[in-house]
Amino acid sequence: MVPKSHRRTALLAVIRRLLEGVWTAWAAVTLAFFALRIASGDPVASLLSQGLASPEQAEEIRISLGLNAPLWLQYLRFLANLLQGDLGSSLYTHRSVSQIILEQFPSTFVLAVTGLIAAVLFGFILGITAAWLRKRTSGMIAAAIAALATSIPVAFAGILSLLIVGHLLQEIGSSSELLIRLILPALVLGFASSGPIARVIHSGLSESLRSPFILAARARGIRRDVRLLWHALRPSLPPAISLVALEAAFLFTGTVVTETVFSRPGLGRLLVKSILDGDYPIALGLVALAAIFYTISHVIADLLTFIIDPRLRRVE
Amino acid sequence: MKTYTNKIVLLFFVLSMSTLSSACQPPSDKTSTLNYGLTLAPSGIDPHINASAELGIPLSSVYDTLVFLDQANGEFVPGLAERWEISSDGLRYTFYLRKDVYFHDDTPFNAQAVQDNLDYILEPDNHSQKAAMMLGPLKQAEILDEHTIMLVLDEPFAPLLDSLSQVYLGIASPKALKHWGSSEYQFHQVGTGPYRFVEYIPNDHITLERNPDYAWGPPIYENSKASIERIVFYFYEDAPSRALALERREVDIMGEIPAHEADRLTTSAEFSLSAVTIPGQPLQYFFNTTASPTDDLRVRQALLLAVDKESIVLTVFGSHSPIGSNPLSQAGFNKISVPSPSAHKPEEARKLLEETGWKLEGQDTVRKRDGEPLAITLIAPTWGSNSEVAQLVKAGWENIGVEVELIIATGFGALKEIQSSGDYHAIGINFFGTDADLLRSFYASDGFYNWTGFSDSEIDQLLIEAARTTLDPEYRVDLYNQIIQAIADNALILPIRDYVNLVVAHQSVEGLNFSAQGWFPNLIDVQRSSP
Amino acid sequence: MKFPLLKTLCVLWLVAIGLLALTAPILTSADPYEQISSTMQTPTDHPPLGTDALGRDFFARLTYGTRLSLSIPMLSTLLTILFGTILSLTAIAVGGLVDRIILALTNAALAIPGLLLAMLLVAGFGPGLPTVVIAVGLGGIPGFVRLSRSIFLGIKEMGYIDAAYALGASRIRVAFAHILPNSAPQLLSLATTHFAWAFMGATTLTFLGLSGDPSFPEWGAMLNSGRMHLIQSPRLTVIPGILISLTIFSVHYLGENYTEK
Repeated sequence: MVPKSHRRTALLAVIRRLLEGVWTAWAAVTLAFFALRIASGDPVASLLSQGLASPEQAEEIRISLGLNAPLWLQYLRFLANLLQGDLGSSLYTHRSVSQIILEQFPSTFVLAVTGLIAAVLFGFILGITAAWLRKRTSGMIAAAIAALATSIPVAFAGILSLLIVGHLLQEIGSSSELLIRLILPALVLGFASSGPIARVIHSGLSESLRSPFILAARARGIRRDVRLLWHALRPSLPPAISLVALEAAFLFTGTVVTETVFSRPGLGRLLVKSILDGDYPIALGLVALAAIFYTISHVIADLLTFIIDPRLRRVE
Repeated sequence: MKTYTNKIVLLFFVLSMSTLSSACQPPSDKTSTLNYGLTLAPSGIDPHINASAELGIPLSSVYDTLVFLDQANGEFVPGLAERWEISSDGLRYTFYLRKDVYFHDDTPFNAQAVQDNLDYILEPDNHSQKAAMMLGPLKQAEILDEHTIMLVLDEPFAPLLDSLSQVYLGIASPKALKHWGSSEYQFHQVGTGPYRFVEYIPNDHITLERNPDYAWGPPIYENSKASIERIVFYFYEDAPSRALALERREVDIMGEIPAHEADRLTTSAEFSLSAVTIPGQPLQYFFNTTASPTDDLRVRQALLLAVDKESIVLTVFGSHSPIGSNPLSQAGFNKISVPSPSAHKPEEARKLLEETGWKLEGQDTVRKRDGEPLAITLIAPTWGSNSEVAQLVKAGWENIGVEVELIIATGFGALKEIQSSGDYHAIGINFFGTDADLLRSFYASDGFYNWTGFSDSEIDQLLIEAARTTLDPEYRVDLYNQIIQAIADNALILPIRDYVNLVVAHQSVEGLNFSAQGWFPNLIDVQRSSP
Repeated sequence: MKFPLLKTLCVLWLVAIGLLALTAPILTSADPYEQISSTMQTPTDHPPLGTDALGRDFFARLTYGTRLSLSIPMLSTLLTILFGTILSLTAIAVGGLVDRIILALTNAALAIPGLLLAMLLVAGFGPGLPTVVIAVGLGGIPGFVRLSRSIFLGIKEMGYIDAAYALGASRIRVAFAHILPNSAPQLLSLATTHFAWAFMGATTLTFLGLSGDPSFPEWGAMLNSGRMHLIQSPRLTVIPGILISLTIFSVHYLGENYTEK
């Protein structure tokens, strides 16, 4: 059992980390708000020049959007609305931004989750192979593939996979909708994100395999098999797991490109479209949500590391 | 051993993928569902309010119009109106409506419904972007009896019947209009057409369902009832993904397929091509006549001569497009005379520029006059392969010593914004339509889309006369010929090609044909031969 | 993966494309903007690499494209390094409250992924190559500040820095004369890996169509425009894609393995 004093300091540390998370999320959302507003200027002017509103209507819209108030007041309103889940409405369709985002969310969520699973699997398989079979060709190939994973742009990986799989399917003479709509993009996204994970596992496992306690275990006659692997892997697990939690957020940027290449609906495509259309409320809402999500996963990553590492070590 | 672990991991991965997959399988019942691919997702899909042509592809089967346009002879045939009378002064149109028509919500169609629709369209708070303008000088609608309505105009308006034949003036159920209001109605549309509106998830899909009670189709439909149960429309904004979607059988029909992809797909018997000419304006660029150097007629003429249209059309559109030479396409305006396309004569273009004082000095590649370089800003929209065409136009102009800045406007909004700033010398835009009056908003001095800045009272006179004084078709043709000549004389536009929509359909699709406006399929006629 | 051979190969590759950028006019007489054929030519019909879909010499577009594709991330990286180093050096040299403020701001900015931040900036200013340079440059600052700050922190905690302070050196002097030079190797490595990130980011933005003028030869934009002809002429996408990947790999590998063990 963990001693009471340890529990108290642990609890305090957790609370502190959570508060930091709240602060970071708030600061990021603020940055997003001001960056976009300052860069983009007056959204209503754009409606005017497009002929979507007469000057009188433009004034009305300005009032209804609260644009006549000073910028800091608009910011406070934005914040208040954000906390209630209100992200404003699209400049063109007047639909609630939260509604629009909710509609597109499931598709991106499915892609991101499957992509994350793929990233973890690729990362672990490549990293373990590279370290465990260091001296064999397969180990070196795995290391090379991991390096490729970090250098190849997601877009190119997606395009290549479409080309290759398209040809394969033509040979076989079948066409699997599911394969191309979900599995392929997830695999591509996962592969492109697996580099950091593979690297952490590779270097961590390599080092731990050379460490004294492993050598001692082998000297005692323990064979080079799965059990040994598991023991050697354990020290690398905390950073790997926290990296996985961070990757969850990185996947969001990856989905922007993946959804474009594979024509999947989702938040990534929505973001690009809102940027090209100039529909600022949607772009701002998406970036704000991304920032909050990113912060949450950072906090989870830190907490996971904290839980797995020091306390377990102390107990042992 | 190590490989053992790997195998277990891989197995687990495959198993989880397949369980996940069965959860995500979309229902595909090929016998009674048709999947149709659209291109850009418009910002709104209420035809009474929004102007996009895309929305008409599904919605022209949800609504009926008072009259329909028979493209075979250019005549108007009865739709929801059995017959109509036009007063001799052209100011009063009396429509005698069918008595057997019901909306999809079972409310009856009558004259009151027509009046409610007109009110909805003309209500200023609803911001109708196209339908309202198509009604022109409409003063009021008078209900004469339950199935007779009279439209009263302030002055004669030749395009009125043409307007009334388009989906933007399709008749909607007043009950639905009132219940939902202008911002929500687009998600709950109710018409009288051969298909019912089921749902619209923006950026995702539109679903239509067969209307089994439909019994009042116009003569231009081949079938009297629709045969396909469900039609689902998906959006494919990204051009490279469209052909792929067809090949993967995600959709059975899709339009706006790039020319070389259409050729490739139809080499096999699996797909068939419908090359549909779209009447209206060609893919074209307007010159800004109020900004130097394009304010000089000779400079504009030189720019026209520097462009090799034949080569551009061949490169971008293959063999599928007539070269544009006219402010109006050849299709749909048969009787209007067509000047021959401006030839490709770069030497003559260079001479013209020399004459106007723009000269090349020494090693320069860009002409100068009084130390100023000859700089042109070219704005192109993203649709219709404009981006590719603009790149080639730029290359042609650079060839005669012009410095070109090419800007791709990312959407219609961006295009309009740039235009309002006046920072352009050539800008691309074109509208479609079946009545030559569509020229008016582009070439009249006070036209909403007069992006050339060209003001000529004679052209204004002709435009008004052709639309607001006479209903005589032959006299109108004569007037429009004069207008077109004036536009050519003043080198106001660089037309590139007449629009041809390449629609590729799977071999199991039969009966696909398109309405007079070109974009809209008559879904009632579409059948599946086998799953 | 510590082959000396691999390192040499990477250097050779980078030198090769650098030369490509500089000697483009010598290598080919064709103009990357000029249409030389109405139909797309294969490499057999028109050596060495045929034309793109609009009939422009593909080899010319690739070689001239090297200039744009390299200079955009280079300029962005310079921007990032300049502003990033000033911020992190100030934070460490001055320390105390200033450091805490800069750290807090950086952490906040880091909550928005760099690419998203760049896209946000492009959204505001409108597409165009200069915007891409600035957006990628600014978007990379938070990440660079965090990493360079920890480098400087490591140097600062070395004994000789305290000795310098004890001898009465001002903070500015310490910063420029001691901290900065001693962190040079690590900074160089960081700058190199950052260039790889900027390259990836810039090509992603141009791939998404945010470069403004599609006629400019630039590998990311070419990756995008080649997609239309993926099945018929895969070389239009595959070659730029390979060029991008190899360049990122080489820069990344050199940056990571710069410091000899």
